[in-house]
This record gives sequence, structure tokens and C-alpha cells, in this order.
Amino acid sequence: MAGVVMEEVTKVYGEDVVAVRDMSLDIQDGEFAVFVGPSGCGKSTALRMIAGLEDITSGKVYIDNRLVNDLPPRDRDIAMVFQNYALYPHMNVRDNLGFALKIRKVDRSEIKRRVEEAARLLSIEELLDRKPKALSGGQRQRVALGRAIVREPNVFLMDEPLSNLDAKLRVHMRTEIRKLHNRTGTTNIYVTHDQTEAMTMADRVVVLREGIVQQVASPQEMYERPTNVFVAGFIGSPAMNFIRARMEKHNRSLDIVFGDTTIPLPRERHWKELDGYVNGEVMLGIRPEHMQDARLVENMQGSATLDVKPQVVESVGHEKYLYFELPEGLTARTRSIEEIEADTGRNEEGSGDMLVARVSPEAKVRESEEVKLVVDTGKVHLFDLETEKAIF
Amino acid sequence: MGKAGKERLIKAGLYLAYAVVTLFFLFPIFWVLSTSLKSVPQLFATPPIWFPLDPRFENYAYVFTNTPIVRYLFNSALIVLLTVVFTLLVSVPAAYGFSRYTFRYKKPTLMMVLVFQMISPVVISIPLYRMFVELGLLNNYAGLVVAYSAVVLPFTTWFLKGYFDTIPYEMDEAAIVDGASRWQAFWRILLPVCAPGIATAAILVAILSWSQFVIPFILLDDAALYPVSIGLVNLQSNADAITLHYLSAASIVAIAPVIGVFVLLQRYIVNALTSGAVKG
Repeated sequence: MAGVVMEEVTKVYGEDVVAVRDMSLDIQDGEFAVFVGPSGCGKSTALRMIAGLEDITSGKVYIDNRLVNDLPPRDRDIAMVFQNYALYPHMNVRDNLGFALKIRKVDRSEIKRRVEEAARLLSIEELLDRKPKALSGGQRQRVALGRAIVREPNVFLMDEPLSNLDAKLRVHMRTEIRKLHNRTGTTNIYVTHDQTEAMTMADRVVVLREGIVQQVASPQEMYERPTNVFVAGFIGSPAMNFIRARMEKHNRSLDIVFGDTTIPLPRERHWKELDGYVNGEVMLGIRPEHMQDARLVENMQGSATLDVKPQVVESVGHEKYLYFELPEGLTARTRSIEEIEADTGRNEEGSGDMLVARVSPEAKVRESEEVKLVVDTGKVHLFDLETEKAIF
Repeated sequence: MGKAGKERLIKAGLYLAYAVVTLFFLFPIFWVLSTSLKSVPQLFATPPIWFPLDPRFENYAYVFTNTPIVRYLFNSALIVLLTVVFTLLVSVPAAYGFSRYTFRYKKPTLMMVLVFQMISPVVISIPLYRMFVELGLLNNYAGLVVAYSAVVLPFTTWFLKGYFDTIPYEMDEAAIVDGASRWQAFWRILLPVCAPGIATAAILVAILSWSQFVIPFILLDDAALYPVSIGLVNLQSNADAITLHYLSAASIVAIAPVIGVFVLLQRYIVNALTSGAVKG
């Protein structure tokens, strides 16, 4: 078992295509780290540099305190699970699992022991004599995991291993992989574009965008304290709502104002740092789940409210999504927000600047009928309009 | 005319076209087969006899007992076997290199391979002869196999490169991460997976090489070394005898192995050829 350290690792393709820029990271021994980000953000490239499948343009990678820049993959003591499993179609499951050990001339009895143990761990004992084409997607996935487990490596590297599975199987396999990690305690670096996978599986999440690390934090911290608009919008589903607002000082309170809505900022947060934003514009971030139908809220004292007319109401059983628009000009649009929306498919061309509220299933809301929403003022976020960095 | 009527007409037209093309290609073989079973008077009868009512199978017996056709068939088989082995030894690693490696001038090199494919053996026959004379490679199976292979290598390399391209590169990477060297990944993983494609390439090379005429005609003058395609030339009619029926019988004997191989393996060959096209 070992930690992985990346020191200002950069990858450049050709003359000027920077896939990863100055990535520095310290993954602890036994940690489950998840690299997440939209397509093309450099997460797979970073993983492949750790694996040794891509050259490192500059910077250093250490595995178990050993500099591995010039070591071939076979000498890095890593095992990798690929997106399309990459099982050897001409070998049965037993031979697939044992291939790496056979190549390394491990004793036959030891190969047999490890293969059977991995098969038992993954419940694939009765599949050992089958070929990959006779397996389902989930079974192939488990064989791919088994092939990594038998190696007993220092680090597991997984490149979107669940992408090719259906939604239900993906949820099941997520827990299986996490259970496996808890059992083996091996350092795991997992790449995904799915923020739900990242949040449910990771000890720490690494968000990447255009080759640059945006934030490294535990899922909860990333959810509660995103460092910038991109992370705030990428983490959480549905994505955070972003509104252009003004910061105003009234007596002793700092308020965020947009349209007819005034949101008083909680006193206990850092007000001194906000001095420069008073009477200026800021970007307000409100997560859909931090808005509720006012009719279902008992004590409204001190709350901020927002009157909306949902254009679409979606009921998913345990909650409802209300899609509404704000008066023109209030919905914030930046490059980060457009990138997130492009990645999630939200606000596709022609659908306008829709915001989302996630309310209780008991909320009696109908399309085109006005509803008053209560905003949890303790959970709002503020960002600098220019730099998109979090200021509150 | 309604839609259904139009569709029927189009279908009828298509089938007519199929029939015409099929006849165009099959008729010569039918005529040779028919001729191989005729007697001498029947050969030039007017009107022509399409198929003799009393087929003369003794024509085939004559060919086997009075001509060295068995020797020619053996020579053809040997040349084809050596050509297949040598071609695969060169084209398989070449195709692997083109498929798996990025290197300078890769695209122009591939284009050059394609361009060489377009050069007919007839065009290079004279310079080939002169070169082989200098090298002392006339009447020599080694030289012949090299020349045969040069003709089929471009096609085989392109075909196999396409086949290797259908194998995801992650498979190589999985083997490398598992601890295999490049050679081990090629030998133990890629080759077995590509076995169907390689087998198809071998069959296609064999079929192409069996019917090769110009190159052995130029490079061989020792009758003992003739493949069947050249041996047939000696059975042509001359002033002393009409041998058209024997020549036809020998021709059928010469093409029978190729037809047999194709008929037995056609589904396999077509699958391998088209699967590469679909996966791109």
C-alpha cells in the first residue's frame, strides 16, 4: 500500500495542447481519491501519467515515495481497470485473472490461490471457465476488477469503469467497489465524469477543468464550500442556481438583493472580506435543495422569499423539481456556467435561462401558477463576478 | 403505377442486373468445363454444343496420366505455401507497427504502400527479370517467393492494419500494465485475437498467388519448377494436334483447388473482410 504524490505535473501534446497543467496532489496511503470533471478536462490523462501509459512533459510523480517518471508501468506496482474492461477475449476468466501473475512467473499454486480468492471476493467463481463474450456487462466489470485485485498492487487506478453499465448496475457496482476498497485498504484513484459517483465513493474529490485542478476536498466540504463557480455548479445535482445580485449594507446587516428579493447574510460568516463588494454586483449561488415551498415552512421569520411561476414541474416521487425563470438579466451567465450546462444538458439552446428549485413532494405546485419559495439564507454562496472565486 | 409496383420493378431490374453480371463471370468457366468434356469433333461444332450429352471424362484421365500436371500442382502448392509464410512474416509486424505506433511520415508511408498496390506485375516484369538475372535468382523458388510476396504485401499489410485497428488499444495497455513487454503483448494477446484476420489474409494471399502468371512466366524457364498456371501454356494446341479439350480439363483441374477453398471458406472470408469495414 502506498501514497501517490504529483508535483506540478504537466502534459503537453504536440506544441501547444496542454492537457494537464501544474497538477500537484498528495494522495494518502489507503485513500480513495476521485478525479472528476467534464470531458476533456485532463482527468484520464492525469491517471494515465500515474500509470505510465503517457509520458510526463514536466513535473514528478511518486508512488510509495519512489520517483516513477521513467519507470515502465510494469515496475510501478499499479493495477488498472479500463473503461471498456479490456478483457482478453481469447482467454477464459481464469486465464484473464491469472495472466499478470503468469507473465511475472509467479508460482502456479500461488496463481491458483490468488485467482480463486479474487473470484470468491467478487462472486465470480462459477464464471472462471467462461470466455468474456459469454459474460454480461456487470460480470465483465467484476472480472476486470478481479484482474486488478489478484496483482495485490500498491495502487488501483480506475478509468471510468462504470460508464458502460446501465444506471441500476452502476449504482450497485459503486457500492461493490467501495466495499472492496474498505476490505483491501489499497490506495485507489478513480476517474469519472459523474459527480454523483465522485461524491458517493470518494474520501477526497479532485475537480479538474481544462487541465487545472480546481479544488481538492472531501465530498461534504466540496458541497458546502466550493472554491469557485465551476466547482459549485459541477458538484450537486441539479446544479446550483446562479443569480446576478447586488450587495447592500442596511444598518448592521449585509444584504444580497435581486429583483424583489432580499437575502440577509448570516452574521457569523466572514463579513470583513466582503467590504469591497458593498454596493457592487456579485454572483449569488443557491442550491435547488435550499429552496422550499413557503406553505410548507413553519417559521418564516428572517427568511428570504422568492416569488416564481414555474414553467415546468417534474415530480420524481420523493421530491419535485420546479423550473422557473427570473426577470431578464438576473440569471448569471459566465463561461463556467455555460460549460457546466453543456456538460449536463441543462439550458440547451432554446430553453432559456431556467433555474431549479427542489421542493418536498407535498408541495402543491402547478405549472404557470405562482408560488412563494423560501430561501435558506444560511446556505447561500457568493462569488466574485470577474474571478468567479468564492467570497462567502 | 403504385408504390408496390414500382418496388417490384426496381427489384426485377436489380435481379436482372445480378443475372447478367453472374453470367458474364460464370460463362467462361462453364464453357471451359463444357469443352473439357467434349470430343475433338464436338469442339468446333456449329451450332456450338453447350454441354455434351456424352461427357468425355477420359480427357481428365489423359491430363493426369500424360502431362506433368500433378507436378505442376505440387509446385503451385509449394510456392503458395512459401509465399503465404513469407508474406505474413513481413506484413503482420508491419501492420502492427502501422496500427499501434505513431511515427514520422506514417501517413505518407501508408499512402506509398497503397500506391505500390496499384502497380501491376506486368509493368514491373521486364525490370524484375533484369534485376533477377543480375542477382542470379532465375529458376529459383526463393526469388520467386520474394517476387510473389512483393506483389501481395501492400494489400495484405493494409488489410491486416485495418484488422489490428479494430482491436481497442486498451487491450495492449492492459497487457502492458499487467507486466507484459511490447513483444509479449503482441505475441500473447494481439496475435491470438487477430488470428481470424491473419487466417483470412493467408487465404487471400493463397488465392491471389495460385493464379499468378506473369511473374513465374518471366522468372522460370525450367519446366520442372513450373506452377500450374505456366504448365497449362504447354498444353495449348499446335500444328500437330488439337488439345483444346485437354487444355480445358487441365484448366478445370488447376482452378478446382481455389474454387474449393473459396466455397468452403467464403462465409469466413466475407465476414473477416466486412467486419473491418463496419468497425472502421
